[in-house]
Amino acid sequence: MMSGWRIVSRTEPREWGSVVIFAAAFALSLLICGLLLQVQGKDGALGVGLLLSGGFGHLYSYGETLLKAIPIFLCSLGVALCFRLQIWNIGAEGQYVIGTLGGTWFVLTFASLPGWLLLPGMLISAMLAGGFWACVSAVLRQRFGMNEIISTLMLNYIGIEILKYLIYGPWRDPAAMNFPVSPYFSDSAVIAQIWNSSFWLDFGLSENIVDVMAQLCGRAHWGILSCLIAGCLCSFFLQKTRLGYEITAAGSNAKAARFAGIPYSRLVILVMFICGALAGLAGIQECSATLERLEPHIVVGYGYTAVVVAWLAKLRTVRIAFFAIILAGLRVGVENVQLELQVSNSFANTLEGIILITVLAGQFFNDYSLKRKFS
Amino acid sequence: MEDFPLIRLEGISKYFGKVRANSHIDLDIRAGRIKALLGENGAGKSTLMSILAGRLEPDTGRISVEGQIRRFRSPKDAHLAGIGMVYQHFMLVDTMSVAENVLLGHEGGFMISPAQMRERVRKLAERYGLAVDPTASVGSLSMGERQRVEILKLLCRECRVLIFDEPTAVLTPVESEQLFTAMRRMAAQGKAIVFISHKLPEVLSVADEVAILRRGEVVDAFERSQVPDEAELARRMLGRSLFKEPGQAAFTGETEESGQGARDLQQVMSELPIARIRGWGGRAGRGRRIAQADSVLSLDGLSCRGAGTAGFSKVSFAIAKGQILALVGVAGNGQKELVEVICGLRRPDAGSLKLLGQDYREFFSDLPEQNGLGYIPEDRRGVASCPELSLVDNFLLTARKLFSHRGLLDRKRALRATRALIADHNIIPGNPQARGRELSGGNLQKLIVGRELLRNPRCIVAENPTQGLDVAATEEVWRRLRVARESSGILLVTGDIAEALALADYIAVIYRGKLVDLFSAANQEKVDQIGLMMAGSASAD
Repeated sequence: MMSGWRIVSRTEPREWGSVVIFAAAFALSLLICGLLLQVQGKDGALGVGLLLSGGFGHLYSYGETLLKAIPIFLCSLGVALCFRLQIWNIGAEGQYVIGTLGGTWFVLTFASLPGWLLLPGMLISAMLAGGFWACVSAVLRQRFGMNEIISTLMLNYIGIEILKYLIYGPWRDPAAMNFPVSPYFSDSAVIAQIWNSSFWLDFGLSENIVDVMAQLCGRAHWGILSCLIAGCLCSFFLQKTRLGYEITAAGSNAKAARFAGIPYSRLVILVMFICGALAGLAGIQECSATLERLEPHIVVGYGYTAVVVAWLAKLRTVRIAFFAIILAGLRVGVENVQLELQVSNSFANTLEGIILITVLAGQFFNDYSLKRKFS
Repeated sequence: MEDFPLIRLEGISKYFGKVRANSHIDLDIRAGRIKALLGENGAGKSTLMSILAGRLEPDTGRISVEGQIRRFRSPKDAHLAGIGMVYQHFMLVDTMSVAENVLLGHEGGFMISPAQMRERVRKLAERYGLAVDPTASVGSLSMGERQRVEILKLLCRECRVLIFDEPTAVLTPVESEQLFTAMRRMAAQGKAIVFISHKLPEVLSVADEVAILRRGEVVDAFERSQVPDEAELARRMLGRSLFKEPGQAAFTGETEESGQGARDLQQVMSELPIARIRGWGGRAGRGRRIAQADSVLSLDGLSCRGAGTAGFSKVSFAIAKGQILALVGVAGNGQKELVEVICGLRRPDAGSLKLLGQDYREFFSDLPEQNGLGYIPEDRRGVASCPELSLVDNFLLTARKLFSHRGLLDRKRALRATRALIADHNIIPGNPQARGRELSGGNLQKLIVGRELLRNPRCIVAENPTQGLDVAATEEVWRRLRVARESSGILLVTGDIAEALALADYIAVIYRGKLVDLFSAANQEKVDQIGLMMAGSASAD
């Protein structure tokens, strides 16, 4: 006969059990990663150790993790909003790129503007560029019935090609020895890091504390504020406004939305625009705060990680923050593994994929239980 | 063998969370007998039958087939034990022939001879009196014929127990009679039939024995011969004698005292920041100037081709305030398209359509939020509600604009209104945070009707508003519609003649997208012909 277990559908949701399930699935994914490293002839246990300690184990890990969590969180917030309406936008990557281009254009064109105009102008320009880029897919979908998964994915590649064209062509810095980079942004267009050592030293803080704090905060920048604001606004929007309610209702049942006179097409365009704007904001902040100029390196797949985060978080804002930090930490950890064990850089993608699959597969146990067969 | 019934259910209990769906149910199903299962909405009939059909596993209790205890872990197990169910929604492949559908998924030899297949199905159909052409493509069949194909599928698998879940909802009166004949024939040949219905006359005409479920328990079980008439059957079903005669003049203008729920609702509605809804004690709003013409809804030569369906053509009628017009027909004769056009979900091809005296383009371009159009769709779960959202959110679906101010949603007030609505309509479960899918069809319908009438519409379109509802819930919906008629005109789209006669002032019969006839409900001669008109076999004059 079959094994002594059978599957029973649960009638009540688990409470703390789902946390245990997540932890177990996460541990399993790390185990699989360790085995993969072992297969390549590396020390798997050491690899997993390096992975975790790189992301979360050192003082300097946290700043670096936070730095990466900022763009992931912003992109994921937008992606989750689209998913809530059952619009499968996987184009945050392209929207992030085009947003960066929009912001860079503003900075390069209006370099002489005073800081209080340049910085907001850069951010707004980036958000508009990202938003309109996303709207292309929304309009294609609502007007011509084109599948948004295909169009957003394809527009990602187009966006990256546009970036390459600009950086190798019109926007290349003549002083950069033929490297494909733009000129540096003027100082007033650079988003500052959270911890300003010289300020606090002048303030009279002891050198030891300043040092520890500098390590702890690392390169994390004030873009974190935009995360807090966007997260709060998004929660407020979904819970308190009529539009937010309409998005939830239309996402839950599109036919009912039509029946109730909810303007579905307009909602699609709205959520896509918001997602594009958030992704654009993420891109230009990354560009301005960490590179201080436009480089091809800004495209590192945050837009795709955002999709993973949105799914893991089941589209809930606070959980998005949590998973953004977890996946950002693993990205930092993977860099550590790459450095120490010389594995390929696509190991990061593999890791993300494995986590997504194990955690999603683990969610099976949220809806079903295994029970012993009795004879 | 005769000592054992074909199927015996013993002590069956099933809980969904804390909700008791079935509790210690004992039931015998005997070969050669037709057993009717009666009960109000949410009494647990569907759960019990799902358990028998292997779709759900009971928490406690056991099922025995011919005295042997069996466990059904899947519908396949139940099938192997000879139990099959005819669902309300048919599971057929439209592009394939009747014979192919019947034998689909049937285990047999690898090679199939079409001629043999047809012959086999033809014989089977003949044996049980289920007239249907084995070579016809299912897409071209009427609902009644499709149902016969479903039945043939089960018979072909040699099912010994056939469960019918409200089988007459989609049938004309003549088709219903044919179905009952076939059911009796099947019983005569040794099949056991379980028949779930809300329609008491049907139960009386076809059942051999009756079991009554209430709140998940079998409260009564008796032979058909023990009940003399519908009133007695209804009394046994409800456990109280509630109504006079089903379908007839239960409403005599008595004003039901308004309960606490109704008063709360009145309170919440009158407190809305923009108290502009007439009829809720608010300021007599600056409501839109609506043509004072009596005509609430008028159609003249209205036509629309359906998408992939026949649609309707040249439909004309008018409804004035205070009138109910019943559009009677078998499902699929263009009613759906007509309703969609009237409710602004679809554009007509030709003809004129006026709502509240305005051309439809003008009307829908600036849809009045209240005192406008109320629509009670047939598909409660798919169209009129969001099964995954809470009752408050479902309440807000069409009431959202009343409960929002400057783009912000007043959820607190919406919660109070939902609570009041739940109390007023006696909706179970009474928790406003329960999800839509946790409600039974009847309770969901109460919520929807309450919600749609909340805005005090002047024109109401109700599509099969009591389909699948028990007697008490049906009476309740009818009562609400009669009250609503005082201030509005109602288009009632229904397949149930009894419902049309109970409510309507005028009756229009639709067949293949055309109005066959339009007459006063008092015209007894015409009324007697409705059944024939629905089947397209009576001339319009």
